[in-house]
Amino acid sequence: MLKLILNRLLIAIPTLLIVSLFVFALQHALPGDPFLVMAGEERDPEAIARLRAIYRMDDPIIMQYFAWLGQVVQGEFGRSLRTGEPVLGLILQKLPVTIQLAAASMLVALAIGLPAGIIAAVRKGTAADYTASAIALSGLSIPNFWLGIVMILVFAVELRWLPASGYVPFFSDPLGALETLVMPAFVLGSGLAAFIMRHTRSAMLEVLRSDYVRTARAKGLDERVVINKHALRNALIPVITLSTILFGELLAGAVLTEQVFTIPGFGKLIVDAVFNRDYGVVQGVVLCTAVGFIGMNLLADVLYIVVNPRLRGR
Amino acid sequence: MPTDPTSAGVLRVEDLSITFDGLPDGFRLVDSVSFEVRAGRTLCLVGESGCGKSILSLSVMGLLARPPARIASGRVLFEGRDLLTLDAAAMADLRGDRITMIFQEPMTSLNPALTIGDQLTEVILRHRAVSAAEASRQAVAMLQQVRIPAPESRLAAYPHQMSGGMRQRVMIAMALANQPRLIIADEPTTALDVTIQAQILRLIRDLQRTNGSALLLVTHDLGVVAEVADDVAVMYAGRIVEHGSATSLFSDPQHPYTIGLMGSLPSLGTRQSRLASIPGAVPPPSQWPVGCRFSTRCPFADARCRAEVPEAREIAPGHIVACFKAPIELQAESAA
Repeated sequence: MLKLILNRLLIAIPTLLIVSLFVFALQHALPGDPFLVMAGEERDPEAIARLRAIYRMDDPIIMQYFAWLGQVVQGEFGRSLRTGEPVLGLILQKLPVTIQLAAASMLVALAIGLPAGIIAAVRKGTAADYTASAIALSGLSIPNFWLGIVMILVFAVELRWLPASGYVPFFSDPLGALETLVMPAFVLGSGLAAFIMRHTRSAMLEVLRSDYVRTARAKGLDERVVINKHALRNALIPVITLSTILFGELLAGAVLTEQVFTIPGFGKLIVDAVFNRDYGVVQGVVLCTAVGFIGMNLLADVLYIVVNPRLRGR
Repeated sequence: MPTDPTSAGVLRVEDLSITFDGLPDGFRLVDSVSFEVRAGRTLCLVGESGCGKSILSLSVMGLLARPPARIASGRVLFEGRDLLTLDAAAMADLRGDRITMIFQEPMTSLNPALTIGDQLTEVILRHRAVSAAEASRQAVAMLQQVRIPAPESRLAAYPHQMSGGMRQRVMIAMALANQPRLIIADEPTTALDVTIQAQILRLIRDLQRTNGSALLLVTHDLGVVAEVADDVAVMYAGRIVEHGSATSLFSDPQHPYTIGLMGSLPSLGTRQSRLASIPGAVPPPSQWPVGCRFSTRCPFADARCRAEVPEAREIAPGHIVACFKAPIELQAESAA
């Protein structure tokens, strides 16, 4: 186990290097110049030149990259070109917001997707199966922003049950946090629940056909035990991988949903940064997202070993 | 049917017919099958793949999904109770306790995510009011009985850490843990290494005899039959074509199909350059003939065989054959 984790961390280094290089290159290939914006109305060429010199924008791009990388390795992510705030500070400020939303959305997705998938598989071909599949399909096809707006109109504007927007940190005010989280988490989670439901259903169907499930039934075990103990444990293996990938995507930010509910998370940060050509922020956020993805993959591997004894001790 | 007044019938199948939804009306994958298995004795159900023997054994276990399968007629009497009329809960109480099953595929029949100990104690705890510690103790004793070395240390092992033969021993331990009255073994040695087959077979037979359980062994392998059977029922295309004691069937096979099977049994005594075999294969159910279902492959078949279904007849005490041509002692020479 420890060896596997170390192994993965070693592989993560070149991955992160490639990601950072890619983002750096791509970003500088984008048209537009942040200094035109920063220099104000007059667009004084001298001011622009001075700014470019400060930010070493006239160095060859590869030199710029290594200069940036050298600082990142020391934990210095630079400052926002627009506001002058430290990038690391911005990230640390937005990250908890996104993690909170991602975790809540994932919980919603699993709470809907897993049971629906299990029921659809166990009652294959019945009304329950078709209902679950229909709901899953609608969850996939309803656009998030539309569902978000409708929910705000119904639950915030009309019924006044929930706040329409905002962010409350969970650990300072759990109840308030839940109130602001319910709608965005449902909007994000319902879309993901459909994926989880489909995967759970097909994995369960396969496992239910297996010889060891027949053995479990031959022991006279209660059907609940057969499903929850014998079948589910094996069916969960592919679902775990899917869930961690989905969670990684949630960490990258749910741009539209964050916009609809005005949640100050990663999605909003990166969109603003890209539009403003705020190089330092974009790079920092992307790097952070990549670390998040690698972390989730590592978690998937570890969970895999926990549920799948065949992989242990190798 | 051979009778032995000292042993009671544990399982008695009477005129059992099984059909499947979606098949044409009156179409029976298992057709009017009757047999009996008694305590301490072994009935081998013999036939090629596709003859309905697995469907039959699963239906006794109550593991046949109904629908699509449907019981068209008959009774399955276990200690006098008709299993086909029991509700799911009552059947589940019997399963794993009074009636147990050993499957063909030891490599896939154990749950890969659970330890051997968990899977073994589970069946004890399901049917016996014992503590977890006592169940563990019994599990170790069972592993010892099936001759697994260092049984205590195996409880924490996972199936993938064991060989096919060892896994089948675990399956046997599971099947025998609650001293069942009836054990159904569906091709228990087919998936195993040849060198292991005889060991496993002997193990099943020894444990069954010490337990006094009835054993219904389903196989396509006459070598297995010769090794363990007291009685034999030969099945072809959903019907039992010949039924009798192992001695009478091996010494005096009467149905052309049985004779053909015997012809394809490799014998160690006589050197054969080539195995004799019956031309053709069991036809798929959609192509089963109207009369005797073996008539398409039978060297003796005539117009009557193709038109009428031969009734089962007792041609010697306890020896039943469903063939118009029986007894066919002289022709048997030329068929084999």
